[in-house]
Amino acid sequence: MGFFDSLAQWLGVRKKEVNVMVLGLDNSGKTTVINHFKPPETKNHDIVPTVGFNVEKFKSKSLAFTAFDMSGQGRYRNLWEQYYKECDGIIFVIDSSDKLRMVVAKDELDLLLQHSELKNRRIPVLFFANKMDVRDAVTSVKCSHLMGLENLSDKPWHICASNALTGEGLHEGVDWLTDQLKEVLERKKK
Amino acid sequence: MLSLKRDKKEEEEGGGNPFYNLEKSAVLQEARTLNDTPIDPRKCGHILTKLLYIINQGENIGQNEATKAFFAMTKLFQSNDPILRRLVYLGIKEMSKIAQDVIIVTSCLMKDMKGKEEFRGPAIRALCSVTDSTMLQSIQRYMDEAIMDKGPAVASAALVSALHLGKGSHEVVKRWVDAANAVATSENPMVEFHALCLLYHVLKNDKIALFKLVSKSRKFRSPYSYCLQIRIAAKLIEREDAGSNSELFDFIESCLRHKSEMVIYEAAQAIVQLKNTTAKDLAPAVSVLQLFCSSPKPTLRFAAVRTLNKVAIKHPAAVTACNLDLENLITDVNRSIATLAITTLLKTGNESSVDRLMKQISSFMSEISDEFKIVVVQGIRSLCSKFPRKHNVLMTFLAQMLRDEGGFDYKKEIVECIISTIEENPEAKEAGLAHLCEFIEDCEHTVLATKILHLLGREGPRTPTPSKYIRFIYNRVILENAAVRAAAVSAIAKFGAHCEDLMESCIVLLERCQLDSDDEVRDRATFYVNVLKQNQKPLSSAYILNGLQVSVVGLERALHQYTLEPTETEFDMKSVPLATQPLAEQKVRDVPGESASVKPSQDKVAASRQDVYQEQLAQVPELANLGTLFKSSRPLEVTESETEYYIQCVKHTFSNYIVFQFDCTNTLNDQLLENVTVDMEPAEGFEVSKSIPCVNLPYNKPGSTYTLVRLPSEPTQVTGTFACTLKFLVKDCDPQTGEPDDEGYDDEYVLEDVEVTVADHVQRVMKPNFAASWEEVGPENELEDTYSLSTMNTLEEAIKNIIQYIGLQPCERSDKVPEGKSSHTLYLAGVFRGGHDALVRAKLALDSSGVTMQLTVRSTDPNVSEVLATAVA
Repeated sequence: MGFFDSLAQWLGVRKKEVNVMVLGLDNSGKTTVINHFKPPETKNHDIVPTVGFNVEKFKSKSLAFTAFDMSGQGRYRNLWEQYYKECDGIIFVIDSSDKLRMVVAKDELDLLLQHSELKNRRIPVLFFANKMDVRDAVTSVKCSHLMGLENLSDKPWHICASNALTGEGLHEGVDWLTDQLKEVLERKKK
Repeated sequence: MLSLKRDKKEEEEGGGNPFYNLEKSAVLQEARTLNDTPIDPRKCGHILTKLLYIINQGENIGQNEATKAFFAMTKLFQSNDPILRRLVYLGIKEMSKIAQDVIIVTSCLMKDMKGKEEFRGPAIRALCSVTDSTMLQSIQRYMDEAIMDKGPAVASAALVSALHLGKGSHEVVKRWVDAANAVATSENPMVEFHALCLLYHVLKNDKIALFKLVSKSRKFRSPYSYCLQIRIAAKLIEREDAGSNSELFDFIESCLRHKSEMVIYEAAQAIVQLKNTTAKDLAPAVSVLQLFCSSPKPTLRFAAVRTLNKVAIKHPAAVTACNLDLENLITDVNRSIATLAITTLLKTGNESSVDRLMKQISSFMSEISDEFKIVVVQGIRSLCSKFPRKHNVLMTFLAQMLRDEGGFDYKKEIVECIISTIEENPEAKEAGLAHLCEFIEDCEHTVLATKILHLLGREGPRTPTPSKYIRFIYNRVILENAAVRAAAVSAIAKFGAHCEDLMESCIVLLERCQLDSDDEVRDRATFYVNVLKQNQKPLSSAYILNGLQVSVVGLERALHQYTLEPTETEFDMKSVPLATQPLAEQKVRDVPGESASVKPSQDKVAASRQDVYQEQLAQVPELANLGTLFKSSRPLEVTESETEYYIQCVKHTFSNYIVFQFDCTNTLNDQLLENVTVDMEPAEGFEVSKSIPCVNLPYNKPGSTYTLVRLPSEPTQVTGTFACTLKFLVKDCDPQTGEPDDEGYDDEYVLEDVEVTVADHVQRVMKPNFAASWEEVGPENELEDTYSLSTMNTLEEAIKNIIQYIGLQPCERSDKVPEGKSSHTLYLAGVFRGGHDALVRAKLALDSSGVTMQLTVRSTDPNVSEVLATAVA
C-alpha cells in the first residue's frame, strides 16, 4: 500500500490531506456545515448536539479534508486544545443571529488565538457568519467588527456569510481555505 | 496461575514474548506518535496493543498520563482501518476508568453505532463504558433501538452494556425493560439469554414480577437461559421459604429431564441446595447425579461427586443409593474425583465398610495433592466421632499419614484430628499419644512439636504408665531447637508434679536441663526444679499444673503501671484481671473444616473483650478510680431490637462496685436526645452512687451512659433485680439536616429489668487438674446440699443451666456427658470477686422425676461458698 500511496502522490492523482478543526459556540451550525460537504448518501438528516467531537472527511476541488467537528457546548470547549497541534486550518462558525452571545464567541476566539500551540503559527482561519437567512442576522462586515477581526493581523483570515442549510456561501469559504492551505503546503515543499 | 506462568516461560524460551519487559513510561512515550498525521494503522495498532498489554498487566497509570494517551487515541477515529478501529474501542473501554473527559468520544461512538455493521456492537460497548449518568438521557433512544436490532451481535452488546450500566444505578436500566421483554423471545439463543439476564437484574427486587418471569412456561433456545431460570426459581423458593410443593419446584424438577447436561446438573444442584427438602424431594436429583457419576466426561463426574459430597453432609441417607457408583469412581484416573468419591463414601458408609475404604484410600494417598489429603483427614475426623469403636483402624491410618511426606497444613490437620479424637474418646487416648510421640521424634514444625508436648504434659501423667512418655519428651530436650526444648522441660515438670513416684527422676532430668545453652530453657528448668524440691502439693499445682491465669494484656498493663509508680509494697498478682476463658469449647463441632477456620478469630475476640472494656472505662474520669475490672458481662439487650431506642447493657464488676454501661442507639432520625441517663431502682442493699449521662445522642450514633452502683456491705448479698428507666431530653430535629429545635422536653422510656446474678461475681478459670485443686482448697469452707431439679429432663440440659447460673468454668471436660449414662459429675472452677478461689462439684443423677443434684462447694472464703451454694436454688 505504501508503494501505491507514494506513487499516487507522485503522480498527483491522490489529493493531499489536510486536517481542519471546526469550532464555534454551541448551536452555531458546525455539524450542519460539515454535513453539507458530505456525499449525499452519507448525509445526516437529523442533527443533534455533538457530544465531544466527530471526525468527518470531505473533499474540495484539490484537497482532502479531515474535519474535527468539535462540540461547542460550554463543558466541552476546554477540550478543543487537545487537537490544536495537528490541525492545519481552522473553520470558526459564528451564529450571526445571536448578537447576545457574540461576545462569548469573541472571548473563545481570543483564547484560541492566544493558545501556545497556535500563537506562533501562521494558520489560516475561515469564519462563517452563519444563519444569514435569519431575519435579524447581522451582516458579515458587522460580524467581523463585533468579533474584533480587524485586530487579527498575524494570521490569514476570511469571513463569509453563509447558510448551512442551503449551502449558500459555504463553497466560497472552503475554496478560500483550500487556496490558503495549498499555499502553505507549497511553501513547506520548498 | 501456575500453568499461566509456565506458558509464559515456554514462550520466552521459544522466541520470547514480544511484550515482555515493556516499560510503562516507554509505552506512554510511544503513545504520543498516535498524534502523528497521516496515520499509519499498523504502527498505531502495535502501539495500542502494547498499551492494552501494560494496562492488563495491572500497571498503574496516572490520570494525567492516561488522559494524554486517551486523547491521542481519539485522533485515530479519522482512520477507517477496521483492525485499528476495534483496538481503539478496546482502548476506550480500558482507559474509560482511568482517564479524564472520556466523554469526548461519545459522538464518534454514536456515529459508529449507526454505521457499519461490524463496528456497531463494539461501539455500543465502548459507548456504555464512557457514558456518565448525565449523558444517559441522550443515548437512551439509541440503546432502545440497538436492543431491538435485527443483528444478534448488536442486540446482545446493547443488552450486556445495559446490564453493566445497571450496576451503577438501578433506575437507569428500568427504561429498557420493555425492549428487553420484546427480545426475550428472540430467535437467537445468545440474545434471549442476555435479555433474560437484564430482565432479572431489573426485576430482582420485585417478587411478583420475578415469579411471573419464571413461571411463564415457554421454550428457551439457550441452555444458559434455563440455568438462569433455575437459579432464579431456587432463590425465590428460598426467599419464600416455600417447600417442595411450590410451582417453582415443579419447574426445577422438570428441568431434570432436559436434554442439555448443563441444565440437568444445574437443576439437580439447585434442588440439593434448597434448605427444607425431604429425602423424597432429593431422590430425583440424586438419581440424576448418580447417572452423571458414570458419564464418560470427567467434568460431569467431578461435578456430580462434588455435589454428592455436599449432600452427604446433610442427608447421608439420600446418597447411600449412589454408593455403588461412587465405589467405581474410587479407581477413577482423575484423583480429584477419586478423593471426593471416597470422602463421600466415608460420610455415607456404615461401620463395616470403614476398613475397606481406608485400605482403598491408602493405595493412592501418595498421589493426591495436600489439599485433597486435608479433605480426607476431615472425612476421617468426622468418622472418628461417628464410629468411636473404629478408632483403631483410623488411628493407624492417621499415624501412617503422619509418617508420609506432607506440608505443614496437612500435618497440622492430622495432629488436630488425633488430638480431638483423644479428647472425645478416652479409649483412643493411649494409642493416639503413642502415635504423636512417634511423630515428634521426627517433626520439623516447631509449632506442632510444642503443641504435642503441651498435650503430653497434660494428658500423659494421667495414663496408667506415665513413665514411658518421659523418654520421648527428654529426647526432645537433647535434639531439638530452643522453643521445643522449653516446651519439653515444662512437660517433664508436669509429670514430676503429678506423679509422685516419678518426681525424683524428673528432678534429675530437669537438673540436667539447667545447663542448657538457651536462657528460657535454663530459667524454666531452674524454676521447676526449685518448685518440685519443695515437695508441696499446693505449690506444684499452682505453679506447674495450673499455669498463668491472668490476662496477658492485663498483666502487662499492671506491671507497667507498677514500674511507673515505685512503692514499697510488693506487686499483687490478685490485682491483675483474670483471663476470660474462651468459650470455644462449648461449641458443637459438627463440620470440622468450618469450625476450625472460624475458631481462631473468635478466641481472639473473647480474650481481648474485657481488656477493651477496661480501656473504655478508664476513659471516663468518674470511673477511673474503682480499681481493676474484675469481670465484664456479655452485652444484654434491654429493649426490643426494632424499637425507637436500641439499648444494650454491660455489667462491669469491680471489687466493691458494679458499673452498668448502657450502650444506646437512637433510631429516630427526627429526634436528638440530650442528657441521657438510666434511672435505676436499686434492689435491697444496693445503692446507686453516681450516674454519668450521655451528653447528646444524635440519630444512629451510639453513645454510652454509666450508672455506678455500690455493692451491699453484707458479703452474702450479691444478687438483685434493678428496674431501669431511660430519662432524657428530646429535641425534635429536621430528619434531613439534623438541625435540632432550640427547645426540648423531658421524656422517659421504660427498659427491661437488669438482673445481677452470681455469675457476674465470678470469673471462669480452667483448672487442668481439678482433683489436686480440690484437695488444695480443703474442706474448711465446704458446703453441701442436695437439690432436685424437676424441670430438667436430661443431664445435658441440667449441666447447661448450672453453668449458666453459677458462671464457673467446667473442668476436665466434665460438661460433656458420655452417651447413655444416667449419672455424671460436673466439676466447675473459678475465682470469686475479691480473688477467692471457688470450686464446685455437682454430682448429677437422672431418674424418672427429673435430675437430682448433690452440690458441694469449696472456697477459700466461707461467704463465697454460701453464695455459690445458693446460686442454683
